[in-house]
Amino acid sequence: MSRTSFFSSINEIRNAGQYQRSRLKMGILFTLPAVIILLAVLAYPIISSFILSFQDVRLAAGGIVTEFVGLDNYMRIFQDAAFRNAFNNSIYFTFVEVIAVTILSLGLALLLNHPIGRPAIYRVILLIPWALAPVANAVLWKWIYNANYGVLNAIVVGLGLSETGVVWLGSPFLALNMILIADVWKAIPFITLLLLAGLQNIPRHLYKAALMDGATTWQQFVHVTLPGLRTTLIISIVLQSIWALKVFDLVFVLTKGGPADGTVLLNFLSWRVTFNYLNIGYGAAIADVLFVLMLLLALAYIRALRPRTSARK
Amino acid sequence: MNKNLSKVIIQIFLISFVFLALGPILWAVVTSFLPLSSLTAKPIDLDPTKFTLTNYVEVLDTSRGLMSGLINSMIIATFTSAVALTVGSAAAYALARLSLPGSNAILLSILATQMFPGIVIAIPLFIVMSRLGMIDTHLGLMFVYLSFVLPIVIWILKGFFESIPIQLEKAAAIDGATNTQTFRYIILPISLPPLFATGVFAFIESWNEFFFAIILTRINVKTAPIAISEFAGQYRTLYGQMLASAVLASLPVVILAIIFRRFILEGFVEGAVKS
Repeated sequence: MSRTSFFSSINEIRNAGQYQRSRLKMGILFTLPAVIILLAVLAYPIISSFILSFQDVRLAAGGIVTEFVGLDNYMRIFQDAAFRNAFNNSIYFTFVEVIAVTILSLGLALLLNHPIGRPAIYRVILLIPWALAPVANAVLWKWIYNANYGVLNAIVVGLGLSETGVVWLGSPFLALNMILIADVWKAIPFITLLLLAGLQNIPRHLYKAALMDGATTWQQFVHVTLPGLRTTLIISIVLQSIWALKVFDLVFVLTKGGPADGTVLLNFLSWRVTFNYLNIGYGAAIADVLFVLMLLLALAYIRALRPRTSARK
Repeated sequence: MNKNLSKVIIQIFLISFVFLALGPILWAVVTSFLPLSSLTAKPIDLDPTKFTLTNYVEVLDTSRGLMSGLINSMIIATFTSAVALTVGSAAAYALARLSLPGSNAILLSILATQMFPGIVIAIPLFIVMSRLGMIDTHLGLMFVYLSFVLPIVIWILKGFFESIPIQLEKAAAIDGATNTQTFRYIILPISLPPLFATGVFAFIESWNEFFFAIILTRINVKTAPIAISEFAGQYRTLYGQMLASAVLASLPVVILAIIFRRFILEGFVEGAVKS
């Protein structure tokens, strides 16, 4: 017994250098395909998009003609009423969306963390709206919001709140809020699952200690639950802000940006300018503004993760 | 007394949660089986004797694009998740265990990929793919989907690989296993749950994707979401068909999510703990 272990440890020492080298070789070999794919499909286009934003790009016979125009595209952004409108819409949408999703998901996570809410079936129910395609989600709400035959108007009229019903997607600000509701509904499951995972990581004994100190349910929530959820909450807020800024499918299916551009968000505007108006350079400039907005959120995300990793070490 | 009251309140909340989560979906499913005359009746005519499969038969007609959309989505989502798992698990293992130089930088940039708005890469990709003749091809969409599925796969799997006791690999090395053998015969078999979780996740993401599909496809490679959006066109009034197409295109991913619920839910917990 001790003989074999003696020989194997000699073997181990002899092979250590070679072993390390083979590990490195394998490491590079293993990461290379992923890195190549990500460089080709992400890194190159990002740099290219930046360059495009300084150009006037036209589709001419036989191909794409580009001309360097300096900061023109960016200057144009500041004078463009359509951009300002989309920017305001996006900020409003993201802000309200994140607050609504966070509060509702937190409530739901607490509910499903309660002994009565524990049965697995509730979590499975969460997975269904989560798995649904965003386009299918848009169709769902398009049908519910339908001014003539939608169930929402049937309810509103049935309750006597309105005589003829409301054209939900008919006025700019109302339409934006209706899209917001559809998006919140779709976003809640994922954030709730994240928060549930976070809740389950809070050590039980903290609650016991709080209980022994005579803390009320509210005090437990404020002094144990919220601090314990801090990192998870920050992560979900940042992720949700990024996702809210990316919303596209709902706008495309429900309103196509209308009425009166009331539901045009930055992502949608950039798409429309690029692929409908074929104003590729300007579209790229708008995309880059959105990119910077998200980058700031990304930095917040990385910062939020940092204290945790250092604590683990 | 007070205890009972709070129990009742919690039950009420749970019931409203179930109702709000499933209600809109059930409504769409039920009404997708109704003929247009029932849908446009006032009030809506829910008479079960009028239930019909007409909407489904009509949207599945090969001339309508949904059938080929489902097939295209199946091809693209299957290949994307297969490649993502192969390439991603290798990269995740290397980053977790092979003490690669610069692994932190690689990880951070992988994380950063989640923060890009799609439109930033969509414009240059459209130009490059036009030049390469990759617009409206399965391969073109697959590459794009890989770029946003791969980072998540790597991130979740890396967390899992790190949680495997290192002694296991040391023991294998002492027994003379090469690194590749250790990975193939020891690490992968015990990693099936997270592999399934990330695989299903990758499949669902690629199946549901709409934004790039609408930019990078034309006729041949229309995916299921594109087909739905066409049935839901702004001035279309065939509500039953619009709903039937959405139900059909959602069915595969919803079923997948339910079958693999344990893997997905554990994957979430695992991922959240490890990240």
